[in-house]
Amino acid sequence: MAAPSPARSFLGTISLVFLAIGAMFAIDMFLANTQRVESHVAAARLFRQGRDLMQLGRNAEAIEQIKGAIAIERGNRDYLRALAQAQLSAGHTAAAESTLADLLQSDSTDGLASLIMARVLVKEGRFAEAISYFHRAVYGHWNQAAADNQLRARFELIDLLAQRNSKEELLAELLPIQDYAPSDLKTRTRLGGLFLLAGSPVRAAEVFRGILRDAPSNADAFDGLGEAEFDRGNYLLAQRDFQAALRLAPDQQAARQDLDRCEELLTLDPTLRGLAPAERLGRSLKLVELTQKQTSQCTGPNPSPELQELFDQAVRAAEAHVSAARQSEAAESNLDLAEQLWQAARKECAPPPPSDSPLALVMARIAQ
Amino acid sequence: MDSYQRPPWSARLNAILERLRQSEDRLTLVLSVVIGALVSLVVVAFILLTGRLAARMYPAGGSGWRRILVPTLGSLSTGYLLWRYFPFARGSGIPQTKFAYFINDGRIRFRTVFGKFFCCSASLASGIALGREGPSVQVGAGLASVIARNLGLSPKQVKALVPAGCAAALAAAFNTPIAAILFTLEEIMGDLHAGVLGSVVLASAISWMVLHLVLGDEPLFHVPGYRLVHPVEFAVYAVLGVVGGLGSVCFVKLLLGTRARFMRLPKWSVWLQPAVGGLTVGLMGYFVPGVLGVGYEHVEMVLNGDIVLQLVVLLAVLKIVATAVCYGTGNAGGIFGPSLFIGAMMGAAVGGVAHALFPLHTAGPGAYALVGMGTAFAGIVRTPMTSVIMIFEMTRDYSIIVPLMISNMIAYFISLKLQTEPIYEALAHQEGVHLPTAHSRADADRLLVQQAMRPAPVVLSPDLRIGTALHQVEDGAFDAWPVAGPEGLWGMIRTNELEQAEEDGAGNRKIADILDYRPQDGHAVDFPHLHTDHSLSLALQRMGASGLHVLPVVSRANLRQLLGIVALNDVLDAYGVAKRGAGPERSE
Repeated sequence: MAAPSPARSFLGTISLVFLAIGAMFAIDMFLANTQRVESHVAAARLFRQGRDLMQLGRNAEAIEQIKGAIAIERGNRDYLRALAQAQLSAGHTAAAESTLADLLQSDSTDGLASLIMARVLVKEGRFAEAISYFHRAVYGHWNQAAADNQLRARFELIDLLAQRNSKEELLAELLPIQDYAPSDLKTRTRLGGLFLLAGSPVRAAEVFRGILRDAPSNADAFDGLGEAEFDRGNYLLAQRDFQAALRLAPDQQAARQDLDRCEELLTLDPTLRGLAPAERLGRSLKLVELTQKQTSQCTGPNPSPELQELFDQAVRAAEAHVSAARQSEAAESNLDLAEQLWQAARKECAPPPPSDSPLALVMARIAQ
Repeated sequence: MDSYQRPPWSARLNAILERLRQSEDRLTLVLSVVIGALVSLVVVAFILLTGRLAARMYPAGGSGWRRILVPTLGSLSTGYLLWRYFPFARGSGIPQTKFAYFINDGRIRFRTVFGKFFCCSASLASGIALGREGPSVQVGAGLASVIARNLGLSPKQVKALVPAGCAAALAAAFNTPIAAILFTLEEIMGDLHAGVLGSVVLASAISWMVLHLVLGDEPLFHVPGYRLVHPVEFAVYAVLGVVGGLGSVCFVKLLLGTRARFMRLPKWSVWLQPAVGGLTVGLMGYFVPGVLGVGYEHVEMVLNGDIVLQLVVLLAVLKIVATAVCYGTGNAGGIFGPSLFIGAMMGAAVGGVAHALFPLHTAGPGAYALVGMGTAFAGIVRTPMTSVIMIFEMTRDYSIIVPLMISNMIAYFISLKLQTEPIYEALAHQEGVHLPTAHSRADADRLLVQQAMRPAPVVLSPDLRIGTALHQVEDGAFDAWPVAGPEGLWGMIRTNELEQAEEDGAGNRKIADILDYRPQDGHAVDFPHLHTDHSLSLALQRMGASGLHVLPVVSRANLRQLLGIVALNDVLDAYGVAKRGAGPERSE
């Protein structure tokens, strides 16, 4: 076997190899940087196209474009968030959830990803989990305009809670927002309305009064204040506010309906102060008539004997001639009968009569 | 130049280098580090350059005609270059590396490395449906060979460094350092216990580190996390193994058949043949662009369940044909990448059907695509261990390992049964080269001492008089005899030792007096011996080393317990060379 013959010097060859390593490293870095830059440009182009398609509502195509961008630039969280949003918009909630799960696994404080995840879960009907993600979004990290985005997330949560009629949770979310919510009239009006939905007419009234201090001719605020007073049982004040709202904005349908309802209630309410005995008797008879009508609608042609007896009493009360001396006594008796008929209606009717109708509100007031 | 004329640092450096050069083991390890780094950088450059070229050849929004023209022209030009200047740079690179390792003492020319690098880069960028990993292996092995030879190392040292280059190349090309080591040992060297393990591991690790330094920590494929949905899935994975095995056999047979046909064509057409592959893949790519190139982006899509079933099946079939034609026509490129592509598509097809039939009990098609990659690799390349580890390293998803093993082994055995010759061996055979294989060596090692041993016809007592002993063995067929007393075996004594003692007038002395080994000496047993589970090749080695044609077979638990003897004729008989008892076992 031939002995090793160092044709070139050992040192020379080693030097050449190290030189080659240095040169190759430089070439690799150049190529890698070029590739990164080109990839970034290509990915950004695809992402832009995806966003444009999303805005046009072509979500399936948008998903493809954004996926293309992600395939080029995998670590880009903006692309992944946009993909999740597109998947959600396209109704692919499972895919969106999977995308977001990966995102949140790498950064659980990602505010926007949490918000989109909450929307996905809302769409899937998983409200408890959605609320948890809304909270993560509210307290999470946002790359830009953190305060605005956090407020937006909280309002989305509030809207969900309002929609689900979760009054306590809604109130819990509304209380902290009062301090840092924008002071524009629109937001304050919205807040007032939300307090009403949360079952806090006192706070709602405060908000609307605040608005009216700054903008005395704000019809919405008058309408809201009217609703607040109505909810508190101050029907006369409510009537006044609704009328004020309509004076300022005669076309406001909501205020019109609110006023009609309020006035209907006021014409029914036998507990109002200052009513003459005859008027009180008349209102009690009206209540008997309305409650009997309500109950008979639910029971059909063959009511139970007990109920039939109540109906008979109602007929007798309507036909009875009451002397002036016995008007108060008869009114009390009628109200008692109306109360019994109302209870029967609530028992027999499926669904029970709406609790915010003027009749229901008056009956509730009588029951107090 | 005299040392006293040099600056002292230069003299010291030269002295260190000279000492390093003289110490083979240390030099091999140091060079493994250097080769690992250089090969990694070259392979990264190869991958990046191919990508850049491809981006130029197929700009976004380019015309569909490009998909026909570019691969045709690309393969035509590289085909001419390969024919005219770089004839050893054709094909995959794995068989060529094995030729160099086993036949040429690890000798690969720089010209071949250069040609492989640029021709492969150009042809793969043009859309030829072949892979980049096999060529990377040849480039890595070639660089190791060039460096070692230029350093003036012995052929043995050159040969020892070639596997380091292979492992470094594969670690960089696939981003799979462990699979690179396994593949080098399992396929290139055909021996998992090869003595160069240290340098292979070192080169692979260094290569991987350099790769990460340049490109960062990204697996080759990003896959969503998978889990076994229901135990019934094991049955589906078994079906995938069957499909993968059959698909692999079809692919290998088609590739070998195509290549054989093109090899029969006239010599003058060799430079034109690659263009046939380019045109074929171009025509396919015009209608289905996914067939073009390595196609890893489509593998990633299918792993994420983003391709519909019909397209997946179409891609699998077209890729099998495209790769077979591209390779068969002599284009430069490997079959690793296409194997993974085909496997991913077959897996996704099986998974897609299974998921449609049993949506509640099976994972999505992506999981099956992942397993399918390993399955096809095991079936085509026939390295089942490498394929399992490779898929794990590529995806870094441990949960898929067990299904992968099930599917791989089924595909491997189907492939073994229906295509007896592994693809690289078959390709070498087509070139008229017969390489040693792991199987041929395993067959040799499969013959054990216990198959050839026989009871000792005569066992001499150490207290026996030499004259008497000679009388006992004079008709015997062996040249040495076991000597055993109540303590057990003392060793072997040669007939000519007894005869010499007799001639020296020691016929009345005991055998114990002339025997080298005595159990009461308290020394460890050091006489030549065998155990029943030793291979017959080892028996031959020990016979050669000891000069005895008969060796005792002893128990592993008690080395002084004689179980029998093995004679040279017994060994030859076991190999079918000689008949038992054909002649006396006497050494010359």
